[in-house]
Amino acid sequence: MWHAPFRRLWHDANDLKFPQMRRLLAAASGADLAPGKMIQFQDVSKYYDNQTALRKITFSIEKGELVFITGPSGSGKSTLLKLIYRAIRPDEGSLRVMDLSLNTLRESDVPQLRRHIGVVFQDFRLLDNRNIFENVAFALRIRGVDEKEIKTKVFETLKIVNLRHKSDNYPPTLSGGEQQRISLARAIVADPAIILADEPTGNIDPDTAAGITRISKDINARGTTILIATHNRELFRNTGRRVLKLDFGNFAGEEAG
Amino acid sequence: MSLPYSFKLTLQSILRERWIYLLSMLTISSGLAFTAITLLLVYNIDSATRKLPEKFSVMIYLKDTATEDERNAIIAAAQKDRIVAHTIFIPKEQALKELKSTLKDSAFILEGLGDNPLPDSIEVRFKSESVEPEAVQRFMGTLKDLKGIQETEYGEQFLSAVHSLRRGLRTVGLTIAIVMSIGMLFVCYSTVKILFYRKEEEIETYKLLGATRGFIRLPFLLEGAVIGFAGGLFSLAEVLGLYYLLVVSLGTTFPLLRLIAFPIDLVSLIPLSGLLIGMTGALLAIGRIKY
Repeated sequence: MWHAPFRRLWHDANDLKFPQMRRLLAAASGADLAPGKMIQFQDVSKYYDNQTALRKITFSIEKGELVFITGPSGSGKSTLLKLIYRAIRPDEGSLRVMDLSLNTLRESDVPQLRRHIGVVFQDFRLLDNRNIFENVAFALRIRGVDEKEIKTKVFETLKIVNLRHKSDNYPPTLSGGEQQRISLARAIVADPAIILADEPTGNIDPDTAAGITRISKDINARGTTILIATHNRELFRNTGRRVLKLDFGNFAGEEAG
Repeated sequence: MSLPYSFKLTLQSILRERWIYLLSMLTISSGLAFTAITLLLVYNIDSATRKLPEKFSVMIYLKDTATEDERNAIIAAAQKDRIVAHTIFIPKEQALKELKSTLKDSAFILEGLGDNPLPDSIEVRFKSESVEPEAVQRFMGTLKDLKGIQETEYGEQFLSAVHSLRRGLRTVGLTIAIVMSIGMLFVCYSTVKILFYRKEEEIETYKLLGATRGFIRLPFLLEGAVIGFAGGLFSLAEVLGLYYLLVVSLGTTFPLLRLIAFPIDLVSLIPLSGLLIGMTGALLAIGRIKY
């Protein structure tokens, strides 16, 4: 519909209260983004009780990059991603996402930040009481997209992850690999500026894993910044992409995949 | 935020948690029905006691020294009042005659009185639609400053008893309504809180995906409204059923029951009260939940 972009703009503007959120939107608008850092960690530390989850992590990711974070279980990969979508706050250091300081971001502005980040959760976090279509559509509904556009975009995205034919099924009836792909579909359906994937190929067969990697690369080719946390070295071998290594909360260097 | 989508979420939630909803709704309907029946009772008793008997009148006894001008001034002042229907001047001779006819065979007891001891008097009759205790008391106040009046008599005790009864009934009715409303609010509050905690994981996912507090809260507010409104409709059905039973079915056997009035406003008031209670309960619940 001709008025769809205006509706979205109105919807977003409704939630905008501060200039920094306007900057966030400008940064998230894809192609118009000025060259700069999408994610910037500066000496970031995070502690759980007395345990150190991350210690003085410093790195940055440019717009349009596809970066892998690797390390053994418990090395802090998930914590690092959670910091980016503000599920948790950093205890020390400075963290900026889309030129927005997450150290000072108000709680009421967190939903706006998250609407520009697509997350593939390790445990999928699908809504079991809703069918596949509704699960993917949910990411658009919270953004105030109109029904017609939702229908078009959801079916397009389900086609990308090759699950168009299962749109009426419910998550518990799908295999782990299929649920993972639904989680990916939900993360990408709203064209977010950043996609975070937490072990997207964990516990799934190699063919499905290869499919998810291929989709991620395709999305990245369209200019979306992607950060994938994985302990599966096969996923980034010979990709030529940056790989950040974590070792029990410490930054352990960077290599090319 | 899309309102139709919030309605859809509400509907889904109602179907999923139908037993919790049903229980809350029935509790609210019982509470509202009890309150409505109490208020109906109060309303009917209040209406019955609002009107004093049509024969009710005020007697103004005049001083022996009262002049004709003073008497006429009293009559004029009384007739000026909008609640007064008419006044009757009773000369002392007529009063004695009437007393004798009332005493009939015992009239001999008046024989030793000599001079007529009764004073001239004025009887004030009121318009039947205006015979209310408050109005009569106000009228009595207007007589205070008039000259020539020896005494007035208007059944003060009777009036104050009616007053006390009405005031007591209103207080009881209001107390019951307030206590029951607080109870029903608590039911709604608890139900919405339970529903919220049952969906905690789902709500956590909503938040992680970027849902605003408004988006998350609206369905709960609507759920509270639905519980309250549906409870109100149920309660209206209960009250109307009871009214029908009393007035139509039992009214033929006990004609007094046919005098029970049912204010038509209750038809909209009961469901709207339920709606208000439901929404307030939900608002309090979602306002107190930290998320």
